[in-house]
Amino acid sequence: MSPPDARPPQHPTSAAERADAAGGRQVRGTIFDIQSYSIHDGPGIRTTVFLKGCPLRCEWCQNPESQAREPQLMAGRTADEPPTTVGSVVTAGEVFDRVAVDALFYTRSGGGVTVSGGEPLTQPAFAAAILELCRGAGFHTAVDTSGHATWRTVARVLTHADLVLYDLKHLDVDWHRKVTGVTNRRILENAVRIRHELGVPMSVRIPLVPGVNDGDNLTATARFIAEQLGTDTPVHVLPYHRLGVGKAQGLGWELDDPGYTPPTDDEVAAALSTLTRHGLRAVVGGR
Amino acid sequence: MTVSTTTPTTPMTSRVARMIDDLCISSFPLCIEQFGLVCDSLDETVGQPMVLRRARLHAHVLDHISIFIEEGDLLCGSGASKPFGMEIQYEYGVWTPDEVQSLKGEHYSISPEDEAELYRLNQRFAEQPANSTLVDALTRELATDERMWPFMKSGVILPPWKDKKTASGGGYAMSGYGLGPGFFLVCIDFERILRDGAQAVVDEARGYLQSPPDGVATQDQVDYWTAVVIVFEAWVRFAERYAALAQSMAAAEGDPARAAELREIAQICRRVPRHPARTFREALQAFWFTFLMACPSPTATAGRFDQFMYPYYRDDVEAGTLTEEAALELLEILRVKVMKINRVSGKANRAKNAGMAKWHNWTIGGRNADGSDATNDLTYLLLEAARVTRLPHHTLTLRVHDGTPPELMVKAMEVVRTGIGMPAFIGDDSYVEFFTRGGVSPEDAHNYCATGCVDGNIPAVTRTQVVTFFVLPQALDVFLHNGFCRYTGEQVGIETGDVATMRTFEELKTAFFRQLYYLMELGCTRNNVELLAERDLFPDAFRSALMRDGVRSGKDMLARTFSFENASLLCAVGGVNTGDSLAAVKSLVFDTGRYTMADLMAALDADWVGFEEMRRDFLAAPKYGNNDDAVDDLIAEVYRFYADSCYSMGNAYGGTLTPNAISITAHQPAGAVTGATPDGRKGGDILADASLSPEHGKDTSGLTAVLWSAMKVDQDPYQGTLMNMKVHPSSLRTEDDLAKLGSFVQTYLTHGGKHIQFNVVSREDLEEAKFLPEAHRDLVVRVAGYSAYFTQLPDTIQDEVICRTEQH
Repeated sequence: MSPPDARPPQHPTSAAERADAAGGRQVRGTIFDIQSYSIHDGPGIRTTVFLKGCPLRCEWCQNPESQAREPQLMAGRTADEPPTTVGSVVTAGEVFDRVAVDALFYTRSGGGVTVSGGEPLTQPAFAAAILELCRGAGFHTAVDTSGHATWRTVARVLTHADLVLYDLKHLDVDWHRKVTGVTNRRILENAVRIRHELGVPMSVRIPLVPGVNDGDNLTATARFIAEQLGTDTPVHVLPYHRLGVGKAQGLGWELDDPGYTPPTDDEVAAALSTLTRHGLRAVVGGR
Repeated sequence: MTVSTTTPTTPMTSRVARMIDDLCISSFPLCIEQFGLVCDSLDETVGQPMVLRRARLHAHVLDHISIFIEEGDLLCGSGASKPFGMEIQYEYGVWTPDEVQSLKGEHYSISPEDEAELYRLNQRFAEQPANSTLVDALTRELATDERMWPFMKSGVILPPWKDKKTASGGGYAMSGYGLGPGFFLVCIDFERILRDGAQAVVDEARGYLQSPPDGVATQDQVDYWTAVVIVFEAWVRFAERYAALAQSMAAAEGDPARAAELREIAQICRRVPRHPARTFREALQAFWFTFLMACPSPTATAGRFDQFMYPYYRDDVEAGTLTEEAALELLEILRVKVMKINRVSGKANRAKNAGMAKWHNWTIGGRNADGSDATNDLTYLLLEAARVTRLPHHTLTLRVHDGTPPELMVKAMEVVRTGIGMPAFIGDDSYVEFFTRGGVSPEDAHNYCATGCVDGNIPAVTRTQVVTFFVLPQALDVFLHNGFCRYTGEQVGIETGDVATMRTFEELKTAFFRQLYYLMELGCTRNNVELLAERDLFPDAFRSALMRDGVRSGKDMLARTFSFENASLLCAVGGVNTGDSLAAVKSLVFDTGRYTMADLMAALDADWVGFEEMRRDFLAAPKYGNNDDAVDDLIAEVYRFYADSCYSMGNAYGGTLTPNAISITAHQPAGAVTGATPDGRKGGDILADASLSPEHGKDTSGLTAVLWSAMKVDQDPYQGTLMNMKVHPSSLRTEDDLAKLGSFVQTYLTHGGKHIQFNVVSREDLEEAKFLPEAHRDLVVRVAGYSAYFTQLPDTIQDEVICRTEQH
């Protein structure tokens, strides 16, 4: 047997699609990572593309290097390790070519691409172009988003998505502003409209930060999902971890450590039970 | 499918739990009883043809060696005269006092009386001029040849011989009642014993003695058939000794339940292996007696156990005489039994395969000859027995093809998740291609199994005799020094020119391949010397009779030329370092001209000392494992040249040399003899493990990139290749995770991949186990083609396992 063909699979076939895709290949954007064998960001084996830039400033942010739009320097983890540049400007076509390398692995596993961030909706043309190219090649497409964008932007990008991984951080508007820097008004509205107007399958992701969004807020969140999005919406509980703290220091941020602690096993179990009590299918960790 | 695929269903029975507890012992006894019996018999048979001498000593051992049935055991037959014991094997070299002392410093023991008796037996054996060990025979040929002797010492093949007196050093001790020497890679015909019984083999041989199949018989054939009768009749008596023992133990047993078990054991041992097995239990006992006769090879295989045992299982379950739970308990006991079949070798060979390495390999799953999937309930039960007991032996190897059920992959990954490193996964497509390309019928090819670690053989149809480790980076080093070996300070190769004068990379590569070919020919010659010595010294009527036409042919299996002849393997070690080195030379010397070959040779000869900046550049050159054609294509070319070269060289039994690429733990001793290499490696450092795993920490582009690099290598010509991967426990939490890793494996193995296996344990856990071994004695890791207790591995191999890049 000869080694398999590693080249990208067939491109879209109709003339119009070809023209679009050809134009789409040239769209430029900023990414800070591409991760292959990504298994917790949608079905099957995936490649996750991390777009750089985020309007939110979550206090527990686990990828602080994703917040600024422009490439930047990050110090090494130890004094010996040289600093590295985080982020690079690339075209959608280049991203697609990287994603398409693993086409063989998507086929058997039912996987594909996940566009994540940062907040991918801050680069809508770029995100849409990547998704369109990937979908044209037959890959499953997913977007991991906070939903903090205009409806026009949301609709423009998610039209090309087979799945949206939608983050819900807090139901209370003031709390939301306090811990993320922005209100949740558009986030909640968009969630409902995605479900009802676009009909894109959705999984909700809740970063569980003890003392911030557990307790009563989680009950409110559960009720919102069950009533507004439907109990058939899978919920992924993502326990907070402290990896982001070290990275923020690497970026030279003068931030105080927000002092959050990862939830205990009991706290995670309590969160799951709150969610399942509302008829939701909740699991720990991304799927 | 009735067997649950995911959740723990059956806890271990208390019987099995107790037997597993009893496995924790502090030292393994070295036994001499068998050596004594062998010496007695050899004295009696001087002057007779070797096949008869060997049959008689075999029968003598079976008739007289001490036997016992352990507490709670349901399967008869242990491997030595003492529990956990290993019997001295006369076939190999001698256990000198120095070697015995070194053993006592590790996990082994010998009583002072036995030790004194051992030295008396050594002398008695040596004084008999008709006796010869394999080491004697090899030394006679190889140490006197002016081309071969520098080569034997050079470290291009392992282990490097030290001096003419001690040669490769040390003897072997092993458990099992078969004849040595070990390390044959062959799967004998278990099915025949289960189906027809030993008496049928005796009757067949007697029939040929009465009327030869071809009308007339040669004296060699008559001797062989006589030997078959002697051994199989002794084997039946051996089982009857167990029957008598069980009967008398039953009479003395106070516990009526245990007494009933012992009576049942007695009944079974009177039935099998002499007669056909009628039940799963009888089939299992017949299998185990047969397996013990295939040992003392540390490489004994059970072939496609789930296939040939299944009819007995199915019939009993349908008849209502066997439950899934009872079958599972027996399969768990089988694992405990295999745990007690051990072996130990001299110092030099211990390094090549650390941690009491053994390859008792059960192959499961795969395809039938008609292309349909062969999975059955026993496939699942064997995985469950491994998951529940968490014992490192026996090894399970799962054959994977396009139609392997995803739920079986999930079940297998559930076992992988326990961290015991099994099953290993092998690809039907590439293995079947290996055999059919060599002229094997598709029907036979589809019946292949893993013998040794991942070396394919077809039950009763093909057999491998000699496996020699060939250290590619050492061959590269000899080439870079114009045929001179830095390790011994002697000329070992041919003069292929001063590399500093070579003007293009092509010129350099061509010259390297010329040197490589020359050294491989020496390796081939070394194998042929061993093949001929084994043919003369070690006929074995038992194993030979259980090959296809094994009785009818009237020939020992070492005197036959099989239609697919893979007796002789040359096993490549360090192919990845070699390709990475060539890529660095191409890029930094010939493409960019940043350095000259003279610069590089100065740096290599200084072990990079004083050339640190230069070393950083060579370390930063493209490395295999990142889906980078610049280096992957060179690795593929090295492996292609190696395979083509093997197939152009002859083996002494007929047919060609066969390429193989597995390293066991040989990458450690191989690294120890190899000086600094152009991939940036320091002299003496360990080489890349396996044959297709990247150098440690050099694969930084993710899991799939590693497989893409490996898929560029044409693996089909190889009898086996190895890919070790370490994954973090966090990527195997949910059933979804398991299914995804399963799909990943299945994709690789249906697109050119031959083998892949996983260690699932976090770096932190391994580091802790290294420093607190007492608290982690049960930690099992995958080393190469076998799993081992982590704390029993030497430091260097522990570090190597820790350093294999962890993929999240």
